[in-house]
Amino acid sequence: MLAAFTDINWQLIATATLTAVFGVDAMYFAIAAIGLNVQFGYAGLLNFGQAGFMACGAYAIGMTAHYWHISFWWGIPMAIAYATVFGLIMGIPTLRLRSDYLAIVTIALAELVRLIVRSVTFKKYFAGSDGINGFGKTFTEETPFNPSGKYSLWPFDDNANMFGRILLLLIFAGMSVMLGRMIAARLSAGNKALRMTLPLVVFGIVMVGAKQTEYGGLGFKSLIVGWLIVFVLGALVYMLMRSPWGRVVKGIREDEEAVRSLGKNIYSYKLQALILGGAIATFAGMMFSLSRGSVQPDNYSRDVTFFVLTALVLGGLGKVTGSIVGPMLYWGISQFISVFLNELTKVWGGHVDIFGVPVITNPSQVGAYVQIALGLMLIFLMVFRPQGLFGNRKEMALDGR
Amino acid sequence: MGLAVLGLFAAPAHAADITIKVRVQNQVKDEKTGKNVKEPIEGVKIVITGADGAVVAEGITGDDGIAAIVVPEKADYTVTLDESTLPEGFALTDGTPERVITGDNFVTDSVTVNYFTGNAERSSVGYWSQLAQRLTDGARFGLVLAMCAVGLSLIFGTTGLTNFAHGELVTFGALTAYILNTEQGWSLLIAAPVAVVAGGLFGLLTNEVVYSPLRRRKIGLISQMVVSVGIAIVLKNIYLRVAGGRVKAFAAFNNQTCEKFGPVCVTPRDATTAGISLVLLILVGVALQKTRIGKATRAVSDNAELASSTGIDSQKIIRIVWLVGGMLAAAGGLFRGLDEGSTPFLGSNLLFLMFAGITLGGLGSAYGALVGSFIIGLFVEVSVIGMPIMPGADWPAPFDWLHDGVPSELKNVPAYVAMIIVLLVRPQGILGRRERVG
Repeated sequence: MLAAFTDINWQLIATATLTAVFGVDAMYFAIAAIGLNVQFGYAGLLNFGQAGFMACGAYAIGMTAHYWHISFWWGIPMAIAYATVFGLIMGIPTLRLRSDYLAIVTIALAELVRLIVRSVTFKKYFAGSDGINGFGKTFTEETPFNPSGKYSLWPFDDNANMFGRILLLLIFAGMSVMLGRMIAARLSAGNKALRMTLPLVVFGIVMVGAKQTEYGGLGFKSLIVGWLIVFVLGALVYMLMRSPWGRVVKGIREDEEAVRSLGKNIYSYKLQALILGGAIATFAGMMFSLSRGSVQPDNYSRDVTFFVLTALVLGGLGKVTGSIVGPMLYWGISQFISVFLNELTKVWGGHVDIFGVPVITNPSQVGAYVQIALGLMLIFLMVFRPQGLFGNRKEMALDGR
Repeated sequence: MGLAVLGLFAAPAHAADITIKVRVQNQVKDEKTGKNVKEPIEGVKIVITGADGAVVAEGITGDDGIAAIVVPEKADYTVTLDESTLPEGFALTDGTPERVITGDNFVTDSVTVNYFTGNAERSSVGYWSQLAQRLTDGARFGLVLAMCAVGLSLIFGTTGLTNFAHGELVTFGALTAYILNTEQGWSLLIAAPVAVVAGGLFGLLTNEVVYSPLRRRKIGLISQMVVSVGIAIVLKNIYLRVAGGRVKAFAAFNNQTCEKFGPVCVTPRDATTAGISLVLLILVGVALQKTRIGKATRAVSDNAELASSTGIDSQKIIRIVWLVGGMLAAAGGLFRGLDEGSTPFLGSNLLFLMFAGITLGGLGSAYGALVGSFIIGLFVEVSVIGMPIMPGADWPAPFDWLHDGVPSELKNVPAYVAMIIVLLVRPQGILGRRERVG
């Protein structure tokens, strides 16, 4: 039994895992998680309808081709408009009430959006359950990448040009400094040597990881653009949360009455946070659709909201770094389990038995185990480490309002 | 829905299941535009037989009119539509319920078979008969929904937890009964009570293993809610792995023909389940009102600390609530499964309607959950036929559903909208109290 482990193609697993860590799924989850972090992490609003906001973005872009027949760039202002309307519909009835009302209404509204966009009745506007294809051509066709080529995030890849190399190196350097300093502060605050060396160590790990990645040329442009959006939005939220506005929002999470006693209109701030987080999440829907060249209603089911939440909790609520690194690790873990189980099934002759009990008899069953593992991860994180990897436990002592 | 997400995870490495997608649609000529409009038909039974005439798989069309039926291999099959499961007054346009598929038809992993019906006779069914039929179906559905929702509301009332995994308790009842009845060959009359008791014990187990320790550790309610989301994900996928994604009809009491009671047509099975639901709900109502434990439950719901100070053991009450709530949810799931076939998503698909029901009735109030869910069940079924008797038969476009009815694929939408309107106008619901909501 153990000998079989050596037959497993570990190289394949490593490539799949690292590709997923920097992949399109991690990218769009990171954007959605940055938005959810504004709502849940900073403002304490339990939004269970993030998939609805993501669908707003995806359909804003898709509808430019399917219904309006205009340039897809109009999708961006439209997405923000849709998110605003959607946020108002969610927020106005519920934000004065206890937080569980918000959770119930947001999850039901997101489902309502999905039902409407996939319906035959509104096919004229949203193309029904077939989804929308063939939009954003001006974006996807003007690409420096060969659609049938293979690309990696290794800056010294033969296919990379000078601009791409510098861009990648800058992103990796920025990421490493951010992460390295954060870990250093966690391990021992004030240790100067650690502060200098850890970013270098992280940079080394990231570079080794990047060399393993492999992407098709077709969606590579949206991958790069998407990660840039992640960093821009992340920086925006980071600065916003250090502004007076951000302090009020965090204050609401900690003690609503105290903020109210300072004469702040809590209701309005909550509504603003809900809509801002939703508007950010629309970019997740946009980038995911652009990378695939298609909008599918069932990609915005409630499970997507739950998985974004899991990824965010893994990274750490109330931390921008957490909302970016969480989705990367989430997809790394998910892909690792999935490919590992697949390989195991292959090596063990098409089925996995544990103590004579058939656990996997068909590769299509692997997906269920991946989701079970991720669901368990959410439970255990919430109970034993609610602050995730990067959060602050004291800051995230969510109370029961 | 869940399957789509699975696909998302599994994208590169998995071969998809080989499926036959059967789509059943009703073609109606729109009087105004002269175009053919297609509406999906739900609840039509499809049987697939192999080359040797043996039944390979069965399926029931969902609210999108599609039954995706997994078959073992790309081979020759005969697809048969069970015409007796078509809605009253509907008939296949070409009159042939059988279609032959050969292995060569599978260009990809799936092949689509289309059926069309015309409803030439539909208009002969008068509005009042349609309404009576819908009200009957709605009342049945409302009773089932109320059974599912009572536990959700009582758990919320006594512990403050909004249990997002309650739908999975409902599914548990349906799948347990299905497995015992159809796969183990038990009589449903034995399998059903066993499934209900198992559902209650399962609910109790959830409390003992997860929520009771969380309460002792003083983990916040929002965190508990997120934990319940995790439990929902885990359970749904365990069900998916154990039972598969297909819609499964019970072996017992299947394919009954309905009996006419005036304009209304009800199968003996549906009449029985509705009767049992009603009796169970009345028992719950009386127990809450009259028995010591019922009174204590309402006291804990009202104010847990005050109840404790009068000597009520609130942890014991919470255990009882999980037990009874789990039993009722399992029974509700079982009845729903008998009606619609069981799937791993049976309960989670009802969750939003339960939420709508208990929000309408008043979050945390047991009677509110009963009343609210019943109204929502009725509303969902009746909204489909609309009000063709309303004056001014030609309503302008955004409101024409008032006249024509909500398309059946969107029949849950009015319920969700109603929930939001209730929160705007009267957030405490019909029977809730003002001070609970803020």
